[in-house]
Amino acid sequence: MEALRHLLFRLRAVFQRNRLEREMAEEMRFHLARRAAEHVIDGMPPDEARNAAQRAFGGVEQIKERARDQHRIFWLEDFVRNLRIAFRQLIKSPGFTLLAVITLGLGIGANTAMFSVLNSVMLKPLPYPDSAQLDRIFRTTAQNTEGGVSPADFFDLRRESDRYGEVAACAFTDASLSEPGHPAEMAFGVRATANFFSTLRVQPQLGRDFRQGEELRGNDRVVIISQRLWQNRFGGKVDIIGRIIRIDGIPHEIVGVLPDSFNEWRHLGWVDLFRPLGLDNEKSTDRRAAMLQLIGRRAGQVSRTEASNFIAQFGARLAKNFPDANTGSTWRTVSLNETVEGRRGGTPAIFAMLIGLSGFVLLIACSNLANLFLARTIARAREFAVRAALGASRSQLLRPLLAESLLLALAGGGFAILIAHWIGDWFSARASAGTGLPVTVVFDGHVFGWALAAALVTALIFDIAPALFALRLDVNETLKSGARGSTGGRGHQRFRHGLIIGQFAFAMVLLAGAALFIRGVYELNNTRAGWKSDHLVSGTILLSPATYANAAEMTTFRRLALERLEALPGVTSASISWRLPYFVWRDTRKIAVEGRIPPQRGLEPAAVVNGVTSRYFETVGTRVLAGRAFDSRDTATSPRVFIINQTMARGLFGNENPIEQRLVEIDGDTRVSGEIVGVVSDLQSVLPDIVPVAFQLYQPLAQEPRAYTQIAVHTSATTAPATILAGVRAAMMELDPDLPIRRLQTAEDSIASSNFQLDVLRDVLSCLAALGLGLAALGIYGIIARTMAQRTGEFAVRLALGAGIGNITRMVLITGVKLALVGAALGLAGAFGVSKLIAAGYPGIHATSVPILIGTTGLLIGIALLACWLPARRAGKVDVIVALRAE
Amino acid sequence: MTAKSKLVQGTLEMLVLRVLSRGDLHGWGITQKLEQLSKNALRVEEGSLYPALYRMEARGWLKSEWRITENNQRGKYYSLTRTGRKQLEAEKESWNKMTAIIALVMEPQ
Repeated sequence: MEALRHLLFRLRAVFQRNRLEREMAEEMRFHLARRAAEHVIDGMPPDEARNAAQRAFGGVEQIKERARDQHRIFWLEDFVRNLRIAFRQLIKSPGFTLLAVITLGLGIGANTAMFSVLNSVMLKPLPYPDSAQLDRIFRTTAQNTEGGVSPADFFDLRRESDRYGEVAACAFTDASLSEPGHPAEMAFGVRATANFFSTLRVQPQLGRDFRQGEELRGNDRVVIISQRLWQNRFGGKVDIIGRIIRIDGIPHEIVGVLPDSFNEWRHLGWVDLFRPLGLDNEKSTDRRAAMLQLIGRRAGQVSRTEASNFIAQFGARLAKNFPDANTGSTWRTVSLNETVEGRRGGTPAIFAMLIGLSGFVLLIACSNLANLFLARTIARAREFAVRAALGASRSQLLRPLLAESLLLALAGGGFAILIAHWIGDWFSARASAGTGLPVTVVFDGHVFGWALAAALVTALIFDIAPALFALRLDVNETLKSGARGSTGGRGHQRFRHGLIIGQFAFAMVLLAGAALFIRGVYELNNTRAGWKSDHLVSGTILLSPATYANAAEMTTFRRLALERLEALPGVTSASISWRLPYFVWRDTRKIAVEGRIPPQRGLEPAAVVNGVTSRYFETVGTRVLAGRAFDSRDTATSPRVFIINQTMARGLFGNENPIEQRLVEIDGDTRVSGEIVGVVSDLQSVLPDIVPVAFQLYQPLAQEPRAYTQIAVHTSATTAPATILAGVRAAMMELDPDLPIRRLQTAEDSIASSNFQLDVLRDVLSCLAALGLGLAALGIYGIIARTMAQRTGEFAVRLALGAGIGNITRMVLITGVKLALVGAALGLAGAFGVSKLIAAGYPGIHATSVPILIGTTGLLIGIALLACWLPARRAGKVDVIVALRAE
Repeated sequence: MTAKSKLVQGTLEMLVLRVLSRGDLHGWGITQKLEQLSKNALRVEEGSLYPALYRMEARGWLKSEWRITENNQRGKYYSLTRTGRKQLEAEKESWNKMTAIIALVMEPQ
């Protein structure tokens, strides 16, 4: 406290020097006046009185000086003075200052923007109070490390959970949402236990939370909606509570609206509707259907270890008590904040890459600045030498330089925050445009801290060069060498060449990384392996269980729907299937060939499975290579039939004819055997994140109908697919007004929007690469230009001795290109590392390509040549006489 | 003017604190008060007083404020802070101890 007051007093003395001086003078004047007045009262004449007072007082200036010493902080005053000097220096050369601030701003800005995205996606804790106490509870099995839990297991856990805290469960169930007079809409839905929101400590902003009794089947016709749905669908009307809407055809009452902050896509994704769990008695006692996702809030006194031990023991008990359902499964907890979207899969690897690459841009910017600073310091070598000769210590020489870079770093940092903000807005806009769901990039203290830290580290790095120079300054040599003292010695030359090599190495990594990625994404987006997307329209439909209670009703609906769709003008064929060819198929089943000795249990080959209607293959453009497609013979009651892809045919049967062979499809305990009736070409999906399963198996949709399916409509060569969208929607509406169609769009649009993340990433990488390359080009240009200026004398001598202009230009170019080549060679190693990171993030992308690497090396050398050629041209214009005379 | 005693080294601050403990004063007032209290036996040099005042202010013992004086001029008044009061007590105590010890040495009984 004492020390703080002391410091404040002294700080005042530093910053309010003028006021203090004025007050001190006035105080002493007052004192003198009073003493003089006293002398006058004693009878002295006024003049004499003043002199006597002055004599008695002593030297006013000496006293002032001694008084000043009382409130001085020497280092701070010194620092402020240095800042002032630095500021004046920077103002004096506005071109240099502007260049430096822009370079820094771009470098730090790119880096800070990447960090702000990383912060928003990965680091920021979820917006639930005390979110550190929240856990996800997973049931780990051989197939799934983040598996769900069956209802019966959950209810057991909830009964025993007082030693843990509170547990809640939810299940994802998309639902159709309709009201009279509105087209039906498919909504992202979740069914949750009544304590779900209270466990998260979230309260509805309007209305109420679920009540305990509403968990039971029959009482569950209430719904809590998200802020987003409230705004978008219901116009944010306050009288929304109590309104009845139809969900899956059943009337539900809206009882609550969640707050805006709950729209946290990183936890549950974008959910529109929350309904109570609503399990019937049969479901509640089910131990097999692992349909529930569990979250828990640890009670305050329960440590993380105790909690995870408790959960693990509970899992072990289940495995012992119910071996049929639970053998081989274990339970574990993971902090909820660690399970956010951005921390899953390849995302961390991609972020590591982005932060690293933007760091490279910053380093390139740094080395440009180091070069600029070094040049300026060298130009001022004589000034430094004179000051050193007059007794300035090295640290005194260095301090104004440090102050200068500090000011530049702060200005650059400020500019960088602006740039990062723009990039953040752009990123939000891009990310939201891709999905229609808002993704926000937050600017919080962490981001500002990052920008500041980056600015200071940068200042330190680009200060090293001039600092080393100033410290090694040889006063005698510099003063003796006269005007030529400003050329800089061999050591500096080497240092600058080192910087150029480094810049080109980093630029190479950036360029090659971006190029490899762009090529990978392009390939992915444009590969149409085994299917065609032109003249194709697709959409997702979900048949509500209230309207379509059994398989026969679903099949009837589908027959009617396809008839109507195919009757639309311009439509050549239509199909309904579990999956579309261009998106990942998620249903994997084990396969065995009938009549062969089956491989050991668990080692059977696996295939991804799709259920399709008869004209699916012609609709999506998958070629039938042998046998037949499905047709009207294949119904729910007819013998089971399969169609397999080429790779599967070759893998299972080699050169044998697969047609009429029999397969067994194994799904858990269910085994279905059927005959192979056809072979079709292989498919490759456009989504990069899953390693494709090579075996693809088709079965008639009627033989295993599902509620959640995709429609595909192929148009004739003369009909643009976008023109039939309205017709498709109307045809479906006519058939069932409660039936929503999600993402009804042309196949091309659907593919483009599914890979929007990759597109954003591609754009970010391209910008980073362009920025890095531009800065590196600027760097080499600056160096060569300076070298040219310094070597004018040497060139003049060479010219005078008969060297041709071409020789000299070539000499300069070779210097530059050599540096660029060495840099590019070093960068190739880094580029290899980047391609590994891309491969880790997106296994489906092929991120190595020799032509790309050769191409980028060529581009880099070309740019280096251009950057060198511009100043090198001037070599030919050296006026020999003038240059030699200047010597 | 009569010959005045020189101040014992290090006692100026204590005396100033003591004077200010009886009321706020400006620099001139402090010199007058000291002379008055010492019955003109002490003469404080301005060259020591002002640096001492600034030093004590920097240490937080005093705070200062511009006010209008009794004869309508602007004067800078110093007053004791709480720390200053504590400091005065501490100095008084050590002074008393010191004089007692010196007395013991000079006039052993």
